[in-house]
Amino acid sequence: MRRKWLWGIIALVVTLGIFFPSTAWMHGRVTHYRSNYRTPLNPTILVPGSSASQDRFDALITQLRKETKTAHSVLKVKVATNGQLSYTGSIRRGDNQPFIVVAFENNHDGYDNINKQAQWLNLAFKDLVKTYHFNHFNALGHSNGGLILSVFLEKYFAETKNVTIDRLMTIATPYNMESNSTTSRTAILNELVAGRKRLPKKLTVYSVAGTENYSSDGTVPANSVAQGKYVFQNQVAHYTQITVTGDNTTHSDLPQNKQIVLLIRQYLLQETLPSKDRYQNQPRLSRSEDGEPDEP
Amino acid sequence: MQGLWRINQRIGQWRAMRVIRQALQVAYPFILVMTLISAIGQSCLAANGFFFRIYHIGAWLPGLTLWRQAFQVMGLVVNNVVAVMIAFTTAYFLARAYHRNGLAVGLLSALAFLTLNVNYDMLDQTRRSGGQFVENNLGPQGIFLGILVGLFIGWLASWLLKRLAGWHWFMQFTLTGRVAWLLVVVMVLTVAIGYGMSWLTTGGLNGLVYQATRAMISNPGHQGVMILAVTAFNNLLWWLGLIGPVSLAGNSSVTALQNLATAVQHDSVWNLPHPITLHTLGDAYANFGGAGMTLALIIAIWLGSTHAHYRRIANQTFLPNLVNLNEATLLGLPVLYNPILLIPFIAAPTVNILLAWCAITWKWVPPMAYPMPRTTPGPLMAYMGTGGDWRALALSIVCLAVSVLIYLPFVRLLNQDPQPEEEERDDHAA
Repeated sequence: MRRKWLWGIIALVVTLGIFFPSTAWMHGRVTHYRSNYRTPLNPTILVPGSSASQDRFDALITQLRKETKTAHSVLKVKVATNGQLSYTGSIRRGDNQPFIVVAFENNHDGYDNINKQAQWLNLAFKDLVKTYHFNHFNALGHSNGGLILSVFLEKYFAETKNVTIDRLMTIATPYNMESNSTTSRTAILNELVAGRKRLPKKLTVYSVAGTENYSSDGTVPANSVAQGKYVFQNQVAHYTQITVTGDNTTHSDLPQNKQIVLLIRQYLLQETLPSKDRYQNQPRLSRSEDGEPDEP
Repeated sequence: MQGLWRINQRIGQWRAMRVIRQALQVAYPFILVMTLISAIGQSCLAANGFFFRIYHIGAWLPGLTLWRQAFQVMGLVVNNVVAVMIAFTTAYFLARAYHRNGLAVGLLSALAFLTLNVNYDMLDQTRRSGGQFVENNLGPQGIFLGILVGLFIGWLASWLLKRLAGWHWFMQFTLTGRVAWLLVVVMVLTVAIGYGMSWLTTGGLNGLVYQATRAMISNPGHQGVMILAVTAFNNLLWWLGLIGPVSLAGNSSVTALQNLATAVQHDSVWNLPHPITLHTLGDAYANFGGAGMTLALIIAIWLGSTHAHYRRIANQTFLPNLVNLNEATLLGLPVLYNPILLIPFIAAPTVNILLAWCAITWKWVPPMAYPMPRTTPGPLMAYMGTGGDWRALALSIVCLAVSVLIYLPFVRLLNQDPQPEEEERDDHAA
């Protein structure tokens, strides 16, 4: 009889010794699955620069559709000055990489306007997350659009829980406004640098500059684009600066510049580019590299 | 029940049946050690082992890699030759039943079995791959074929030895000569079969059997009836010694992934897109201890068996059964080729799947969505897979209890079996 009791107690202890640790571990797993889960829907949010409408990226999107042969659907959001959202277009069912263009009724330049636009972007963003249930996205900002996105990421992004941003590409974004100076900072740059600690730590940033001559793309000074390093470097996971020169490198042509379209495909949409595209920028192999002697 | 008992007795009288039982009994200690080693290796040391995870063994066990490798090596040794051993022992006992030289015939049979599992890819210079033998087939997977080859070679060799005894020129040979001649005959035969098979499949004869069964029962879809049929058929195959043609423990199927995605997104395991799958029914509620709910069998033996042999084996194989490795129980009792245990072996999982099917359809319990290690103790599988739903735990316990009740009368019936003493006595004879 005593032996039976002993066995019963041992069985109970073993059962509890398995049950409680496994329950604890299971709760850990479930949280892990929840926090690491990524929705298949992975939109790219595009923000145009000042004085541009929600149609700013049409040329780029047409180009992308043609090159990638995937019909990325496009949703356009316009935010009125009173915060009201108006939608055009739609995200096609089954399209996991749609583009969402967020534009603003008040699309003027200037420190105050950019801060307001970041606030409006936040409104649109919250509504998008609520409607489409994505929990990660990429972003592309042209010109001041990059500033709006940066301000948004620093000031408002944390308000939306459980959503992460994977990659941000800014094209010709004047982090120091029109200033060509490398020493004096404008208000917006001061603000971005001051808030840089609040940037998402796992973000990857590509800052693309175009230059017509050695100093500017005709509108934005190259030095102003380069000031972005004081915002992102050592704050986000990766910060890469790319300068594109050649044809179509004036400020407003940049979004449909062929090189930049390739960069967008490669870095933002993470396509595996076919080799003919990948090597487009590279010089033809010279004959000597082909293994044939230079002189016959 | 008494009718069943008489059938059991009648079948037990068959020479082949007696031989299989004896053969399995001899192989049992090897299989037991192997199973214990792989139970510890898979549940405590492997990265996705249950105990490894819940006790965070990786964090405090020094020399983890060394431990893993040691257990892997020890497991490999026995695991990769189990079927060869069974081919040997089966032919050995059959030849002894015919009063022939058991050792010689047993070795012949082991050789014949190996010949059938030569990796013919290896001969091909252009695509040299793998080792000399199709190693998978020499492990537990090959037990069925091992028994088959053992019986066939045991019979053939004994028959030849007997028939040829009339031939004068044959009898003038010494034992060496006779065995050598037999070996030539057997080798020619098996090489011919094996080579012919290599045109059909790369997996040897065994691979062919598995391909056929897998094709028959793969992809049961979402229909409960199909799932029931597949599970029952699968368990029948296990009973025959065709161990694991279909791995019922599958976390990675498309439906399971979709279920997981939905559960994570909506923060709830209710309303999954695929509530009724082989995984949510079979894995969660009908696989305690492995195929055939053998954990319930062990509990039934503890409760109702007066048989010292059965009780001993139940004690010895409890730990592997807890982590869903039941080969030792199947071969040790043996459950294999035991007509009495066949009934609950198929019925218990079937009843459990029915219970779970009803419970999930009527939304009494949520289906499991989170992937769990294969070595999770059966009764905890559904509870943990649903993210800690106590109703799933309750259903698991009900399922276990029902299975024990299903096994119990059959285990009691086996109490009439005379105590098999040959196990110990045979020690010196074997």
